[in-house]
Amino acid sequence: MTVRQLLREAIATVRTSRVPSALVALLTAVMCASTLATVGRTVSAEREIQARMDAAGSKVVVLRDAQNKALLPPAVVDAIAHLSVTDRAIGLTVPVDVVNGAIGPGSTPAPSWRVIGDISAVATLEHGRWPRPGEALVSEPARSQLGLTDGYGWVTSGTEDVAVVGTFTARAPFDTLACGVVIAATPSDVAASMHVVARTAADAQRVESLSISLINAPFAQDLAIESPVSLAQLQQQVGRDLGSVSRSLVLGVLGGGALLTAIVVLADVLVRRKDLGRRRALGATRATIVALVMVRTAIPALLGAGVGAAVGLYLANALNAQPGATFAASIVVLSTLAAISSSALPAVYAAHRDPVEVLRTP
Amino acid sequence: MNPALEIRDLSFGYRRGGEDLFGGLSHTFAAGAVTALTGASGRGKSTLLYMLGLMLTPTAGAVILDGKDVGAASDADRSRIRARQLGFVFQDAALDPTRTVLDSVLEPSLYAGIPRAVAECHARARLEDLGLSARADHRPGEISGGQAQRVAICRALVNDPVVVLADEPTGNLDRGNAEIVLSALRGATGQGRTVVIATHDPFVIAHTDHEVAL
Repeated sequence: MTVRQLLREAIATVRTSRVPSALVALLTAVMCASTLATVGRTVSAEREIQARMDAAGSKVVVLRDAQNKALLPPAVVDAIAHLSVTDRAIGLTVPVDVVNGAIGPGSTPAPSWRVIGDISAVATLEHGRWPRPGEALVSEPARSQLGLTDGYGWVTSGTEDVAVVGTFTARAPFDTLACGVVIAATPSDVAASMHVVARTAADAQRVESLSISLINAPFAQDLAIESPVSLAQLQQQVGRDLGSVSRSLVLGVLGGGALLTAIVVLADVLVRRKDLGRRRALGATRATIVALVMVRTAIPALLGAGVGAAVGLYLANALNAQPGATFAASIVVLSTLAAISSSALPAVYAAHRDPVEVLRTP
Repeated sequence: MNPALEIRDLSFGYRRGGEDLFGGLSHTFAAGAVTALTGASGRGKSTLLYMLGLMLTPTAGAVILDGKDVGAASDADRSRIRARQLGFVFQDAALDPTRTVLDSVLEPSLYAGIPRAVAECHARARLEDLGLSARADHRPGEISGGQAQRVAICRALVNDPVVVLADEPTGNLDRGNAEIVLSALRGATGQGRTVVIATHDPFVIAHTDHEVAL
């Protein structure tokens, strides 16, 4: 029997056995929808928690030059920024108040930092252009505070004048810069503190140890470290726990659905034993019978998974969760596979029934 | 004409160590003739027929089809032989009530791997041979019992088998329809085909060429 003929026979059987087909479709739809709605909510919650812990600094190592020994020059910042486990790294000087140079002393000040390293690691450019060394960007609150009407002009600390060439918004986790001015450092600037963002929370410990070895402080007390390792470990543990809950839920829903589908297919096989016996007597091999039963289950399962995905995504959205396209697609595939694989045993049972037993008329 | 079907020293028991139904039966079924398997109820007429049809495996002895012992072949091989070389007619026709007469007739062709277009052409030819062309698109519930049994004969012949096996094919029919069905089975012996009928009906036995009494 060719694949085309098998499909044609399976479709014909699906159309004539409407009740079992509808039940298989319904069960697959329920599997898919309930998994997306429940596990999708958990996955979404997991993502939110991870984002919040990231924002809380689970990936950020802060190293401070505690004794002002010039331990954080641009070369060290650059070396740490290029580690494979580093997402971003910058150095910051001690903040200094600046005022609008056009208004002069006595006007409202705003804090300013010199940024050693790639300034785009801490700022997103909103207007204007990226600053050259010795030039600055101003945040929207600082622009308003300084009275820079169009975001351009110059600011002064009293000892140094700096041109403002645009506005920025601070990138997480550098939210403290959101109220001030960032100045692109010159090669002679030395950072007072260094902020290193690891690629993942799991990399935080490695980032910390590599940074310490690159800085090579003469004495331990020369370098003050704000370590995220405990938070990162907590984040990983929370991730593992939530992942475990998600996996249990997926297994529970898919396992239960698969069991019910197997019962429906087995009942269908028993009801249709004469039909299957006739097919065997007329020359269908056991493999053909197995394939026929499984393909005949796969067709309504696919339809049900499609409907279930739509309903599940709608429910997930209503529950304020966005499980994501990859997760949704995975659940559609898993639900369909669960339904198809659950028909394997009833299919094998059907293929091994004795055709004589069902064809003989007493 | 060379015989297509033969049994040698055939034995069969439904249970290990149970009653041996045939006690080493040997017989050569004549090609181009109708043979009746006869005997009282419980003597194993249908059992022998299903053994000839490779749906039961003998406990001893051989079923020889076209010179080859096929009685103990693998299940897949027996299925292929059933699809290509054997035709079956069951007592109750055993047509799929949800499919058309045409679909029922061409069903064995699908298992034999024959393309549907070719199978459909053969099926229509068989239906025309037995005067059922007008019923091709009907479902079994829309035709009479006699017509259903003739459809079953068309199905048995669609792959041009060397042997046709019929289990009480007229058991549910009146004399008129039984005669039509037996005439169709007689027609199937053309081109040297072997036809074997399991029956206890003297009317049917009277229409056969040979008899194997069990």
